Amino acid sequence: MLSGIDYFIVIAYIIGIMLLGFYFRRYIATSEDYFLGGRSLPFWAIGMSIVVSDIGAMDFVGVSGQAYRYGISVGNFDWIGSVPAMLLAAFIFIPYFWRGGMYTIPEYLGRRYNRHVRTIASLTWITFFAVDLGVLFWASAVLLNVLMGWPVWLSIMLTASVVGLYTYFGGITAVVMTDVVQLVIMFVGGLTLTFLGFHAVGGFDGLVDKISAMGPEYRSHFDLIQPSDTKTPFPWTGILFGLTFVMANAYMIGNQTIVQRCLTAKNEWHAKASMIFASGLKMLVPILVLFPGLMAIILHPGLEDGDQALPMMIKSILPPGLVGLMFSAFFAGLMSSVDSLLNSTATLFTKDIYEPFIKKGATDKHYLKVGKLTTLVLLIIGVATSPISGKFPGIYVAIQTFLSYFQGPLFAILLLGIFWKRTTQWGGLSGLLIGIGFATVLNTFKGAFFTIEDPFLYVSWWSFVVGFIITIAVSLFTSPHSEKRLEGLVFNATGKKNRSS
Amino acid sequence: MLNFDWLAGVSQEAAKMVFLVLFVLIGVVILFIPNDYIFQGLEKKKRRWWNNLKLWAIGALALLFFTYYIF
Repeated sequence: MLSGIDYFIVIAYIIGIMLLGFYFRRYIATSEDYFLGGRSLPFWAIGMSIVVSDIGAMDFVGVSGQAYRYGISVGNFDWIGSVPAMLLAAFIFIPYFWRGGMYTIPEYLGRRYNRHVRTIASLTWITFFAVDLGVLFWASAVLLNVLMGWPVWLSIMLTASVVGLYTYFGGITAVVMTDVVQLVIMFVGGLTLTFLGFHAVGGFDGLVDKISAMGPEYRSHFDLIQPSDTKTPFPWTGILFGLTFVMANAYMIGNQTIVQRCLTAKNEWHAKASMIFASGLKMLVPILVLFPGLMAIILHPGLEDGDQALPMMIKSILPPGLVGLMFSAFFAGLMSSVDSLLNSTATLFTKDIYEPFIKKGATDKHYLKVGKLTTLVLLIIGVATSPISGKFPGIYVAIQTFLSYFQGPLFAILLLGIFWKRTTQWGGLSGLLIGIGFATVLNTFKGAFFTIEDPFLYVSWWSFVVGFIITIAVSLFTSPHSEKRLEGLVFNATGKKNRSS
Repeated sequence: MLNFDWLAGVSQEAAKMVFLVLFVLIGVVILFIPNDYIFQGLEKKKRRWWNNLKLWAIGALALLFFTYYIF
């Protein structure tokens, strides 16, 4: 599929990213530099980094494939499934995390509730990220093998070497600044494909007319809101309750890889602005990944596997040179996901596990060294465990399901923690544990509880409701925290009572 | 109940209105946020209208509103 010029572009891109990331090693002197970029980064870089971290190589293919099968409703995940949650994060949660000088979300939970909540949340994220790393390496390498014919191990070793080098030496500053370039590559590649695709199908009107004329099964392909009894996994009830109210908020407010970027901002305004700027960019993402899938319905009808839609579009639409750019965008997606996982997991381990439990009160240089070593160890674990995921084809889905066990209850205690000062440490702990337990039961016996095939949106909502109710009930029966202990941790409209740095 | 069967009678048009009203409500709530809180972190002399994050947020919400209105 690739010509000489395409290979040249892909290789030049990979080398360029490595050198750029490596350049930022000079800004690392302390652990704050390594984990929080010295709290000096501007909103535009952070905002671009948030968006690019959220789009992996798998998403390019997966979202196009779902658009091919189900239509535009998959765009709900980038639109309503992101923007309102990002605004809530920007105006309410991020300022409190930033002012508190926090490194991790579990650190907030530890201060607001207790160390048990912090440790459970941190260990859950560390486990999820560490397992996800190996799976991501393997799944993306297999994808690149199918698309480019590159051997699986070549893709894994190449990605691990490049990302490992700049993340180890440059910390989160290197991660964020390379993400900026990666976002530009992704947007240029994706927009070019969409633009040329529209030209091929006769513009937007041509796209709508031709797909609508293809038969009754395509009638709802341009409906964002699907009926509650739809055959697709996106009924409006699930989109509203599961995605908008719970999963989106849990992801944008409770996910370390997203929030840690905002904590690198040079001041509170930049921290808020980064998330709002990212929400504007998120509105454009479906144009890159969703519309090519819809265009493939006209240009390549009858594909058995919807995930073939994007590769077929690239093959038929893009000229040599631009194909290389598009594959660079795939690599950008993979590298940005891997560097985020590495840096955030190293931060969680160093700040939430190593510092409080293994070696308290050590020098800053020591924690910097631990952070770097953790990055290296994680990389080795990720590469070494990646072939295991090849033996378990369902593991990618299993990991996403595991995340849905955790998201609802986590968001419940974050929400109550910041908005209701009567919430107590035991309320939070009970809500988290019982909520996770309830989600596990719902998922295990989903056939008995749900009528749709993949009810992850409903599981998130109901586990959130249970976590929320349990937290309130237990809080009312346990001693409230003192005003002093809650200072800077609970929302008030002006924020005047909170610590300001 | 867990499947939201009790909402099965709500039409697609009515559901769409629910989403659009939600966007408007979020917009109204954002407008009520005090300006001091919005600009916190910026020096007084840099507090110009284009740095007002309420306007940025309303812009993103307007894009969202029209996307859901059209589709």
